[in-house]
Amino acid sequence: MSKAGLAQFQQVFIEESLEGLDTMESSLLALDNGGDGELVHTIFRAAHSIKGGAATFGFPEISSFTHEAESLLDEVRSGKRAIDAAIIEVMLRAVDCLRGMFARAQAGSPLNDAVAESLRNELAALMGRGAPAGGVQARRNVDQADAWTIRFRPHAGMLAGGNEPLRLIRELAGIGELTVTPELDRVPEFAKLEPTECHLGWTIELKGPAKRADIAGVFDWVEGECDLAIEAKHVVAEVAPAAAATPAAPAASVADAGAVRAQREASAESSSVRVSIDKIDGLINLVGELVITQSMLDTFREGGIDAARMAVLEQGLAQLARHTRELQESVMGIRMLPIASVFNRFPRMVRDISQKLGKQVKLELVGEQTELDKTVLEKIGDPMVHLVRNAIDHGLETPDKRRAAGKGDTGTLTLAASHRGGNIVVEVSDDGAGLNRDAIVAKAVQRGLVASGEGMSDDAVAELIFQPGFSTAAVTTDLSGRGVGMDVVRRNVADLGGTVTIRSTQGKGSVFTITLPLTLAIIDGLTAAVGDERYIVPLVSIVESVQLKAEAVRSVAGGGELFRFRGEYLPVIRLHDVFGCGEAIQAIDEGLMVVVEGEGTRVGLFVDGLIGQQQAVVKSLEANYRRVQGISGATILADGSVALIVDIAGLVRLQSRRKAA
Amino acid sequence: MGSKSNPQRKAGEARVIALPADFRLTELADVKAGLLQALEAASVEIDGAGVERVDTAALQLLLAFRRAASARGLPASWSGVSETMRDAAGVLGLTQALELPATMPA
Repeated sequence: MSKAGLAQFQQVFIEESLEGLDTMESSLLALDNGGDGELVHTIFRAAHSIKGGAATFGFPEISSFTHEAESLLDEVRSGKRAIDAAIIEVMLRAVDCLRGMFARAQAGSPLNDAVAESLRNELAALMGRGAPAGGVQARRNVDQADAWTIRFRPHAGMLAGGNEPLRLIRELAGIGELTVTPELDRVPEFAKLEPTECHLGWTIELKGPAKRADIAGVFDWVEGECDLAIEAKHVVAEVAPAAAATPAAPAASVADAGAVRAQREASAESSSVRVSIDKIDGLINLVGELVITQSMLDTFREGGIDAARMAVLEQGLAQLARHTRELQESVMGIRMLPIASVFNRFPRMVRDISQKLGKQVKLELVGEQTELDKTVLEKIGDPMVHLVRNAIDHGLETPDKRRAAGKGDTGTLTLAASHRGGNIVVEVSDDGAGLNRDAIVAKAVQRGLVASGEGMSDDAVAELIFQPGFSTAAVTTDLSGRGVGMDVVRRNVADLGGTVTIRSTQGKGSVFTITLPLTLAIIDGLTAAVGDERYIVPLVSIVESVQLKAEAVRSVAGGGELFRFRGEYLPVIRLHDVFGCGEAIQAIDEGLMVVVEGEGTRVGLFVDGLIGQQQAVVKSLEANYRRVQGISGATILADGSVALIVDIAGLVRLQSRRKAA
Repeated sequence: MGSKSNPQRKAGEARVIALPADFRLTELADVKAGLLQALEAASVEIDGAGVERVDTAALQLLLAFRRAASARGLPASWSGVSETMRDAAGVLGLTQALELPATMPA
């Protein structure tokens, strides 16, 4: 296969392998929780495909690393070795390490690093084999050498496929002088031997100057049908400097698994979406319908319009509208992915954290198949990680404390996703201690956020934890309690147009609820007129709109206006003031006050009037113009003019800054 | 040759297995059946003189057979090895494992 041809498939292979690694990880975790033996097969198969693919697609480092893991798994699978916590632990680390290697493969940096090396040796040691010499390892990447070691293990089915090791080895003999050592240990007992299967393997020492590509070329036809590792033994002098530089690079590369994960996510942003054939067929159908409708409408170009033709035209337009809407929905649907991909990272995290803290936690996942927009999906992860960490660190108690409270040793942490209206609701709930009202009030008083907790409702107290820098953890750990707290979570979620709320019962546990729009690409909004301009106010933020009498609005000292609304005084934001619109209505009793809520604060937006409700396709203002405070985007109205979408949270921030100034 | 004779084994039927001229994948089921029976004999002689075509699977089968034979203490020897076979075994590094005679016996 040519280099360019190979590169085309490498990306697909990497994506598939990352999925395979996810499968391995979740299966390992299930095994850890006493899953059945079938899981071992699942894990083995995943490792096996990665190994085979890596060899095929030119990642010998990944292939040989996975090979070690696979050998260990094979022993487990064949019952030679019992699976235990130590094996699961080392396999989980191998999964992390492979993720790192794939991340580096995508970045084009050297695949092996210190972590990979030591883990490889650890795996080999578990298998009871000595670690290969470090010098060989370091030189593994070189492309030209004057001596090579080729490890060639055909898969059982290779012979039946018509590929003959005899031919391959003869071909190798054309490249250099061979010393062929067979591996006979996998050949089964004679009675059990299936004559058409291959159980032999070979280690071939090749002497004489050769390029890696030449050697690999011999095995082109059996890619995927064998395990192949090609290692340089003696590096040719002129490429030695490059080889010498190789060991230095891994030291600089990221060793921390968490960082590797972050790296993976960063690169995932621009990655592709897999779409089921069904969805694509549906799209093609719809486009077909559109074309038919269009050609039908085309007939109206000629000839006049009479009543009968008018009826047909109307029908055609109705069809066009329907198909366009369906097409829009289907296209949006392509971006909809199940939340499972976010949920799946948690079993591992929960396991690691709970072990670290000496807590027993059972994780329950509900509604993993709930679909949401890919952009939202990518951004919901971090807030959830924070909530989950908090729940385990602060919420759930240690087994002793749980027993003392009359609960079972094991705490339950539930992640649940569901659709509610046009929103997705994600709940992170635990059956732990709940919020400690006294501690929170004490902290809030100490920070001067409130005078005292007297008369505050539980909800109002819970709301306090969303204040910046609020943490009640007596000791700051590396898990949570670093001061970057719930306020960041709330801010992140608000940036996605969502909200975070908390319900907590002392002694019973807490529920954090994240509500997010299903998609960021379309919002439901009310179109408001301000002077000659049109603004879209997101429907989710609107509480109510009222017409006020002029005397209902009072000016306050230091600028600003307030009006009384349902027992509280709300600040007024005049949109024409903020955005500098001319010819807008100034008098309060002639315009309309739209009460909106953003970041937990209510304000009144003063506009000329409301025109109607519509779905707005969000266009980025940042991409087309520049970022404007108080505006989250723009949309094109039916008449072709541009309407700006009001960012309520941004406006509220703007308002409070003005007040402060 | 090569295999140790087992003093405990009573002298009995000696079996000669002649390998087919086309000793390759598709023929191996038959050869295996013959070899399985031969495992019950007192001694086995394998005649590979007539082998014209051979493949990896065939040599693997012989290898497994010789292991089974030696596990049972069954003497197994070569009565002839064709050049083709010798060459193939050499390429695959199996000459020693198959205990092929150094030179063709007369």
